[in-house]
Amino acid sequence: MAAPLDVSPAEVSAAPEAALAGAGPVEGRSLGQIAWERLRRDKVAMTGGAIVVFLVLVAVIGPHLTQSPNAFHQELIDPTFSRPTGPLGGISAAHPLGVEPVNGRDVLSRIVNGAQYSLLIAFLATFLAVAIGVFFGVIAGYFGGWLDAVIARTMDVFLAFPLLVFALALVGVIPEQAFGLSGNSLRIALLIFIIGFFNWPYMGRIIRGQTLSLREREFVDAARSLGAGSGYVLFRELLPNLVAPIIVYSTLLVPTNILFEAALSYLGVGLYPPTPTWGGMLSDAVTNQYFQIDPAFMMVPGLAIFITVMAFNLFGDGLRDALDPRTR
Amino acid sequence: MKRHKTFGLAASAAAVALGLGACGGGGEAAAPTTAGYNAGIDAVVRPSDATGGTIVFNNSSVPDSTDPGNTYYANMWNVLRLYGRSLVTYKSVPGNAGNQIVPDLATSLGQVSNNGLTWTYHLKPNIKYEDGSTVTSQDVKYAVERSYAKDVLPNGPGYFSLLLTDPKYPGPYKDKAPDKLGLKSVTTPNSTTIVFHLARPFSDFDYVAALPQTIPVPPDKDRGANYQLHPMSTGPYKFQSYQLDKQFTLVKNPNWSAATDPNRKQLANKFVFNLNVNADTIDNNLIHNFADVDMAGTGVQAAARADILSSPSLKKNADNAFSGFLWLTYINSKVKPLDNVHCRRAVEYAADKVAYQTAYGGPVAGGAIASTVLTPNLVGFQKFDLYSATTKPHGDVTKAKQELTVCGQSNGFSTNMAFRSDRPKEKATATAQQQALSRVGIKVTLQGYPSGKYYTNFAGVPNYVHQHDLGLAIGGWAPDWPDGYGMLYYLTAGPAIQAAGNTNIGELDSPVVNNLFTKAMATTDISARNQIWSQIDREVMSQAVILPGVYAKSLLYRSPRLTNVFVHSYYAMYNYSILGKKATGS
Repeated sequence: MAAPLDVSPAEVSAAPEAALAGAGPVEGRSLGQIAWERLRRDKVAMTGGAIVVFLVLVAVIGPHLTQSPNAFHQELIDPTFSRPTGPLGGISAAHPLGVEPVNGRDVLSRIVNGAQYSLLIAFLATFLAVAIGVFFGVIAGYFGGWLDAVIARTMDVFLAFPLLVFALALVGVIPEQAFGLSGNSLRIALLIFIIGFFNWPYMGRIIRGQTLSLREREFVDAARSLGAGSGYVLFRELLPNLVAPIIVYSTLLVPTNILFEAALSYLGVGLYPPTPTWGGMLSDAVTNQYFQIDPAFMMVPGLAIFITVMAFNLFGDGLRDALDPRTR
Repeated sequence: MKRHKTFGLAASAAAVALGLGACGGGGEAAAPTTAGYNAGIDAVVRPSDATGGTIVFNNSSVPDSTDPGNTYYANMWNVLRLYGRSLVTYKSVPGNAGNQIVPDLATSLGQVSNNGLTWTYHLKPNIKYEDGSTVTSQDVKYAVERSYAKDVLPNGPGYFSLLLTDPKYPGPYKDKAPDKLGLKSVTTPNSTTIVFHLARPFSDFDYVAALPQTIPVPPDKDRGANYQLHPMSTGPYKFQSYQLDKQFTLVKNPNWSAATDPNRKQLANKFVFNLNVNADTIDNNLIHNFADVDMAGTGVQAAARADILSSPSLKKNADNAFSGFLWLTYINSKVKPLDNVHCRRAVEYAADKVAYQTAYGGPVAGGAIASTVLTPNLVGFQKFDLYSATTKPHGDVTKAKQELTVCGQSNGFSTNMAFRSDRPKEKATATAQQQALSRVGIKVTLQGYPSGKYYTNFAGVPNYVHQHDLGLAIGGWAPDWPDGYGMLYYLTAGPAIQAAGNTNIGELDSPVVNNLFTKAMATTDISARNQIWSQIDREVMSQAVILPGVYAKSLLYRSPRLTNVFVHSYYAMYNYSILGKKATGS
């Protein structure tokens, strides 16, 4: 996870030459091409990437291929325990991942349909958090002074903000229709906004710290002494060096945000039931103690979230290595 | 809202107990008997007068308070009988007879005046506190006064200030009278007589006198909220120690006299209550004999339930008793188009009652399919089924469509259903009923709300309900005392509708129902009064403002180490007042 700032002085002094050598116009390859070459050779990262692509495909195409996620199959439920009959949560040819306790809804279909909502919300919320966090983090770290003080304190306020209390208050005031949206689409927009808006300080703090150390580095000084303006330094000198931490922390934010959605639906601000979401399935399994009588039901959404996180982390790691070979 | 749970049902056909009288006071030296599944519902299991031993209770949380004047939990009211005696109390017997009120401190039930406005109780002479001093009617009055001091003792019910004259009394801590006995609506002509003056007739007053708030409190021992650390005992046991949030222990009270008290026994040497024990750990402790009673009395968790029901050797120690709750769905009579009774009836017919039962955990952990608001062994219950809930448990689509046509909504309509989003059972019910109602074209949107604010801000606020078209709302109810008033009044009486914290969420304000309540409250003849409860039940069901879901049940584990165990129908859990411990080694 070592970022450029962590390298030893010897490597620092070597950095300009390395950059020169890498960008040497031997075959006229761009930086992106080089990175892609490196990434392609990283089997682990490519596997992670393939899983990410697969998940996106599942989320987009899957719902058209599976049975209805909301159809009840109560004939598959043992009424005494409210749990599925049959092994491992009622696995059968018709229900490859079994059925839910109580209602007997098909788990595979709910996972696939849930992927759509969970991934959409998690990705967009992460994107929002990263965008806000990077913007304010870079500004605070680069300019320092009173601007830094204001932004840093704002981040503290956000970090200390009792989000769940806010969500409770929100339940009463969210309208049925707003911004031309209604029903689930309004809730999705709202969830993305809440999750993204309250998660940005985590990103902001990390980026601010990185910027603080980067701005003192020689290559930044060099750019400044050549007369580069703040805009040039920010976008051409600092931001490329921040790509690695941004990618790594984004991949870590995605699973957090999937679970965040579950917490919010627990409070009544999530998507309308019976809409399936991964976090919702997991929280059903935990809060209703299904994990004790039907552990398979908790495993499936748990594994889905685990695989997603793993894939993103592996891919993110490889991507960072590819973009910044010194950290290998 | 009323967290106090009452009711248990003795209707289980499987209930068999071997060779014993139903009365807990039997004196014969009974040999330990083997008892089967549900044996503790209709009979006392292992009746015995053997003494000695320590009975260990586990509680997954902590009591709201051990102060008799500051608690609203059924399990605490049950525990309280070990160290506190109220004016009257519930008979310590299994089955329906447990709903009967019998004298405790008083020599008889209340004597009501001809106009129904004064109730008089005479105390038995020479009842002692644990320190040997004599209980007086002034102490009972002082205890009643404490129920007015909501600033100091916020948890208990508020029936006295609701029913008696002088409702503005500020409580004894702000009382200007030197003896702190300034409440004018309760008088004590002598030290063994207490008279209650009511604002209007209330024929159920004996149930109010059975509340723990009539357990006497000596004014010089009262320490406000801290009185709970050592309440002065009048019962067979007294406080030995109390470490808050951790443990309290009760030991024998030498000044209790069995001769005046047929409802309690002093068999075990000691009661230990361990608090904040993980719920699954409690079940394991019970099954492996590390503990004797789950104090909460709400039944075992899902994991233990599966173990118990699949193992005959464990199942014979279990009782599947009614837990006192009715799980229900309110149908609002003011939200269009449900303001038309036929649209409401369509909902009653279309609902899938089996799905309702399954959502709450099936016939054992959930309960029995309900067709009335009164639950089966409430006083006054009569069985009827207006919407074929038991004959067509998956719903009657044909009838539902007919009602929709009469209502002028033959293609169905759209409405919203409120539920508590942090209660998975309600969420499962909401999802299932959404499906069931869609069969007849009723389109339901599910609206989840956090349970902490459900009654105060959302479903219990008629304005909010109207603005957000919450035609349906899921909820539950358990009465404070086991008759039609306790069950029906707050759910269906017009005067019970409130601007916030409303419990009559169907907003029924029917003159017929309201008049029946007034009539019942003026009827002192018990059997005549009990007829009225069922009349109200029928009227409410024909108005279709409540969709009864499930008469709730829970699976209780009866420790084989205990004697004199039975499910008390009022507390809806094992009765704690006559428990004993089997001699070890047997």
